Amino acid sequence: MTGAVRTAYASNQNIMAAASECRAQIGRANPDLVLAFVGGRHDPASALAALRGTFPDVTLAGGSAAGAIATAGLGYTGFELGLIAFHGAEVTPQVISTGALLEGEEAAGRSLGREVRDHTDDGAAVLLLFDSVASTSPLRLHPASQLMAGFQAGLNDRALHVIGGGLLTDINISDGWMFVDDDVRKHAMTALVFPAGITASTAILHGCRPVSSFMQITRIEGAEVLELNGEPALTVIERMLGLELGTTSGQELSLVATLGQKQGDPFAPYDENNYVNRLILHANPARGSITLFEPDFAVGTRVQIMSRDNVLMLESVERGVVELSRRTVADNCLFALYIDCAGRASVMSGAPTEEAELVLQTLAPIFPFMGFYSGVEIAPFAGDYSRPLDWTGVLSVFQRAP
Amino acid sequence: MQMQLADEERARLEREVAYYRREYDEIGARLLRLQEEQSRVAREARRSKTVAKLVREAYRLIGADVEPHAIGRLILATIADTAVCDCAVFLRVEPARPDHFMVEHTLGAVKSSSMLLSAPPDFLFTSTSHSAAPQSASMTGLLEVPYVLWAYDQSHGRALLLGNRVESNIHRAFEAGDRELVEVALGVYIDVLMRKVAEAALRQAKLVAEQANTVRAQFLATLSHEFRSPLEAVIGFSELLMNQGGQTPSAEQRAEYVHQILDSGRRLLALVKDILDFSRFETLVPLLQVNWVPLVQLLQNAVRGLAAEAAARRVSLEVIQPPERWQIAVDYERFRQILSNLIGNALKFTAPAGAIVVAARIMDDAAVEISVADNGVGIAPQDLDRVLEPFIQLANLNGRRVSGAGLGLPIAKQLVEAHGGTLRIASIVGNGTTVTVSLPTGTARLPAPES
Repeated sequence: MTGAVRTAYASNQNIMAAASECRAQIGRANPDLVLAFVGGRHDPASALAALRGTFPDVTLAGGSAAGAIATAGLGYTGFELGLIAFHGAEVTPQVISTGALLEGEEAAGRSLGREVRDHTDDGAAVLLLFDSVASTSPLRLHPASQLMAGFQAGLNDRALHVIGGGLLTDINISDGWMFVDDDVRKHAMTALVFPAGITASTAILHGCRPVSSFMQITRIEGAEVLELNGEPALTVIERMLGLELGTTSGQELSLVATLGQKQGDPFAPYDENNYVNRLILHANPARGSITLFEPDFAVGTRVQIMSRDNVLMLESVERGVVELSRRTVADNCLFALYIDCAGRASVMSGAPTEEAELVLQTLAPIFPFMGFYSGVEIAPFAGDYSRPLDWTGVLSVFQRAP
Repeated sequence: MQMQLADEERARLEREVAYYRREYDEIGARLLRLQEEQSRVAREARRSKTVAKLVREAYRLIGADVEPHAIGRLILATIADTAVCDCAVFLRVEPARPDHFMVEHTLGAVKSSSMLLSAPPDFLFTSTSHSAAPQSASMTGLLEVPYVLWAYDQSHGRALLLGNRVESNIHRAFEAGDRELVEVALGVYIDVLMRKVAEAALRQAKLVAEQANTVRAQFLATLSHEFRSPLEAVIGFSELLMNQGGQTPSAEQRAEYVHQILDSGRRLLALVKDILDFSRFETLVPLLQVNWVPLVQLLQNAVRGLAAEAAARRVSLEVIQPPERWQIAVDYERFRQILSNLIGNALKFTAPAGAIVVAARIMDDAAVEISVADNGVGIAPQDLDRVLEPFIQLANLNGRRVSGAGLGLPIAKQLVEAHGGTLRIASIVGNGTTVTVSLPTGTARLPAPES
């Protein structure tokens, strides 16, 4: 067996020092590819220069991250640096990128999907990373649902194991950027296509439960939900939260409540795996609307208001990780990747413990581990094709095929 | 009848469903509020931990080997890690301008390195629900964010400013209750900084004292050696003259002995003069008598004074001077002393058959550059700074012993600086040394023909 994957983590205000610390952890041998997750307080150009200087002649992928998670430590101060180094053609993914998200997410996704299709066979593992933030003022995200719809269309009938995450500079969704073609780029998306000998197993870790009966979206424009059951959507949410009506604006509803769409039988007993959640990006009191992270709901969609439940989140972590461990053979594991919604960090969720720490404790990996805090997560949903998710943790273990 | 019963049952079921739905929604709403309240309390608790963490960090920094200038960055990192803000800066009031705050340490980008703020308050915050104090404009302008939290310690002239771009779940609005947090953070910074500054000053004072001790020991060793040799010569030759050796010296010997005594006396006098010059240098500076002096005359007189010694050492001494009759504005005696010291020093370290070139150049802006270059033993790069320290002898540096108190170059340097100029040394071991004296713009002039 040849090829190896190594991970490294540092937290340092000096990006050069952070890169050097990581280099020391990875070792002297030059990897073929370095996948980097760079804390958003680091200047992207300086980060590129530091990594370029530390890993000369090595292909570089990745970009900003709201924080990094590793066995050596985790944080979201914006000064973290997490690296995954791939050594050898047997384990090194092929990097395919597009920088055209701004011209249309669906078209860019379709084009990337086609290219990925040409380089894969069924069952291949693919990691998708993209710049989450389309515009900072007003705040608009690159909708992962459109991007994934295009990507799946581009793949045509190719059945792949696709996981991914949207990259942010910080938990407040200030910005995002990526390394593409040895440069720092906005509005980019990268597919890391793993060699045929590598497979991935994934667990989706949840943490929301419904707190309302079913409601119908009666008016929606893109991601902006104007009415629920014929009432202004914001009024419905504010009434539930006991807030004075019309006082909410901006981002303060973000993560307080989400809208969930139950898949399958709507009257089946509660199962966290049956829900697709959409976070609230911001509220508009003038229009009585809430804007979701994704524009994939429509008039007639039956949704429930969901509440974050920190206890449920931690239970879901334990349950999901144990189940994933059961499906994988540690000896074959190359590395694990954890794509963790930034909202699950305790500073945001108010959870008494860091759920990412619980992931590490429960998984107790004897193989390299790296995670990052993301804006949106992508994973195979309910045994079907991959779709974007909110407020989830996506844990994937990459293994050598037996 | 059956239909009526079915309708009643249906209506009852519909009411029951509506009841359950209403209750479910109500319980759900309560659950949602409860969950949010729990999260809010947990986030608040996390913030309150900031104070405890800052205190712990303070103890760690006090015990750690950290320089004062690094304290601010480390405290800001702790604040960022626990309080989680978009940006933070420590500022310091410029002593001469009480409304001028200089940015000392930053976390995140700031628009400027300073901020103008008259009547700085002890505490200030901005939020959407609180009308902003007029001073907040400078602060929001500096950080380029709308929400700021400020604490100012007037007695130490230092301030801490935190900033957020938005008021959201993670960055809830600043409020009066944040005063403790921001003031403790500033207080911890000032306490640790002052302590580290005091420690650094103590270390520096100790270093200076140790250096002074070393210099004094060096001074005494050098002086005792430099005084002893000529004094021994004076005593020895005087005893010979007094016939204490039992033999009457011849006339020729007597002349030689007197010459030796005179030479030793002159060396002693020169030594005492150097020491006096160096020791009272500060009082000499204001007494400089700067006049327009012919450059050629100055150079030639300086060289002439050492020509005999150069000839005796078989070292050639050449002067390269500009063709025009330039005058330079210097204190003649003191500047001649500079040149004599530099040429004398070059002579000491240039072997027989070597060469010394004294060259003068006038720049376009009437600045003056005079260099004394030799092809002697040279100075190792690591010793270049040391040779300008008093009582350091070049001979010691190059493993060869020559006479002198090691004051020639330090005195020359101080005199050059007293003239507003600079002295720099370039040297290659084995190839020689060039000492260049640069005098500022306007030091030279060409006199009118009739003058």
